[in-house]
Amino acid sequence: MSTGSTIERRTAEQIAPWRVLATVLGALVLLAVALRLVDPVRFAWSSNFLLVFNALLIEATPFILLGALVSSAIEVFMSPRAFEVLGRMPRRLQLPAAALAGVAFPVCECGSVPVARRLAARGLAPGAAITFMLAAPVANPIVIASTFVAYKGQSILWTMVLGRILLGLIVAMCAGWVVSLQTKGQLLRPRPDDTLEANREHSERRWREYFGHVGNDFVFMERFLILGAAVAAAVQTFAPQSFINPVAITPVVSQLAMMGLAFLLSLCSESDAFVAASFVQFGVSSQLAFLVFGPMVDTKLSALYIGTYGGAFFRTILITVAAVTLVGTLWIEVLFG
Amino acid sequence: MKERWSPARVATGVMMTAWAALFWFLVLSGRELLYVSTRTKWVVPTGAVILTTAALGRLWSARTEEPEPTGKREAWILGLMMVPVVTVLVLPPASLGTYAVSRRSSFLRAGLAANPADITSGPLTLIDIASSPVTALGQKALQQKAGDKVSFVGIVAIYPDTSADEFYLTRFVVTCCVADATVAQVRVVGVTPGRFKNGDWVQVDGDFYPLGDEMLVAASSVKTVPQPHNPYLTP
Repeated sequence: MSTGSTIERRTAEQIAPWRVLATVLGALVLLAVALRLVDPVRFAWSSNFLLVFNALLIEATPFILLGALVSSAIEVFMSPRAFEVLGRMPRRLQLPAAALAGVAFPVCECGSVPVARRLAARGLAPGAAITFMLAAPVANPIVIASTFVAYKGQSILWTMVLGRILLGLIVAMCAGWVVSLQTKGQLLRPRPDDTLEANREHSERRWREYFGHVGNDFVFMERFLILGAAVAAAVQTFAPQSFINPVAITPVVSQLAMMGLAFLLSLCSESDAFVAASFVQFGVSSQLAFLVFGPMVDTKLSALYIGTYGGAFFRTILITVAAVTLVGTLWIEVLFG
Repeated sequence: MKERWSPARVATGVMMTAWAALFWFLVLSGRELLYVSTRTKWVVPTGAVILTTAALGRLWSARTEEPEPTGKREAWILGLMMVPVVTVLVLPPASLGTYAVSRRSSFLRAGLAANPADITSGPLTLIDIASSPVTALGQKALQQKAGDKVSFVGIVAIYPDTSADEFYLTRFVVTCCVADATVAQVRVVGVTPGRFKNGDWVQVDGDFYPLGDEMLVAASSVKTVPQPHNPYLTP
């Protein structure tokens, strides 16, 4: 009797998730029918919203996936020893070397947090590990490529691409220098699941694990892109120019506004240039503030930072990154604005 | 241990397959130009290929000895991630219209200036007219074109203070995707009052005159035309 009920319970547990998925698919079919009947394209505002929303997703989604493909390859196929050469360098060279390593490795902001933690745990100076963590998502090859595509054809193309790389590296090194005052013990929180992860890595075939990582990374990042695209589309659909223009042309306010927006939107750095470029009312320096600050500090990263390094670390990074980004972009405003 | 299908992995694979299908649909239907510029449309077939590869890989890896549990919340999030796919596949094609004009910057503000040499050497384009006043050289180049015959296609935009025999011929300029669209306009005078309404696609033939900051076309002919395959201009 008890064996029979155990089997029934297991079968029910196995069927339950499929039922939920079938319900979700059913809801999507109903949505399709409802959209066909209502036809929101008839209304100018909803047509405008859907066009901008979908355009941002169509342009940025391949870059999100490309980032997931590459960062998953680093996670699954690359030996952690590849980074150990950094740890053997003299301490004063570790910060710039870590920043340049960030340029070479296409790791997104979410992927760079555990990588930096692993580097610090393996003996890299904490400041250098944090420099790598902040530099990689702003200045890696995929981010540079997406920024190039987003601004191609505009006179500000090279200001945006080079400004993002250089300012990103400077901000990352400044934050790394501030953090270097801490010891490894102060910085790292112990993680009891480190062993679990290591065991799991060996129990699955690598390619299956690779595509598992790709899928998980894609789902994690794409949801934030969808949210960001919805906010950007709403701003472009409902906010009149008379409201946006005064904010966009006021120095300091415009940079802070774009940094605040980047924090809230939590976009992946591989796709954020497309959203930044859509805010054409804002100048070069404000768009750069969005592109440099966002990949270093945003809502999703806040949770990751606090969970990985603690609240004090998050406050340090927030203040340092915000201050250096603001000063840097104001200089760019003076030079190129 | 026996391998079973993991609901979480299958669900993610289905979601990625839906996105891949969307990208293939855009490539095969030619609708990608409603969303991106001619400059960046290569992203769409590229996206179709890598999404297909990733989706197949995800489904291939969906059988596992330890299937991950799928919560209701995760399932609904995956469902929400497919909503954009449904909207593109189900709804009829549309492009930016006059509603967007009041919510967009002019082409001038985007810092895109035409090359004065291009203006004087070839036929005038709407982009030349919209961007040239940004520099003194551009203004001078336009002055040299005063009285030239022009022919432009665009949508009609009529504002509350627009005279009955005028409208603004409008075209959106898209550099990367529709989200960064800016507005290029020229004032058209000498139009039959009441014949055209906001959002109509028209072809205007006439003479071009730059009057200070105002660029206008004295229309000799205005006729309704179908929306072009690519409704946007690329700088």
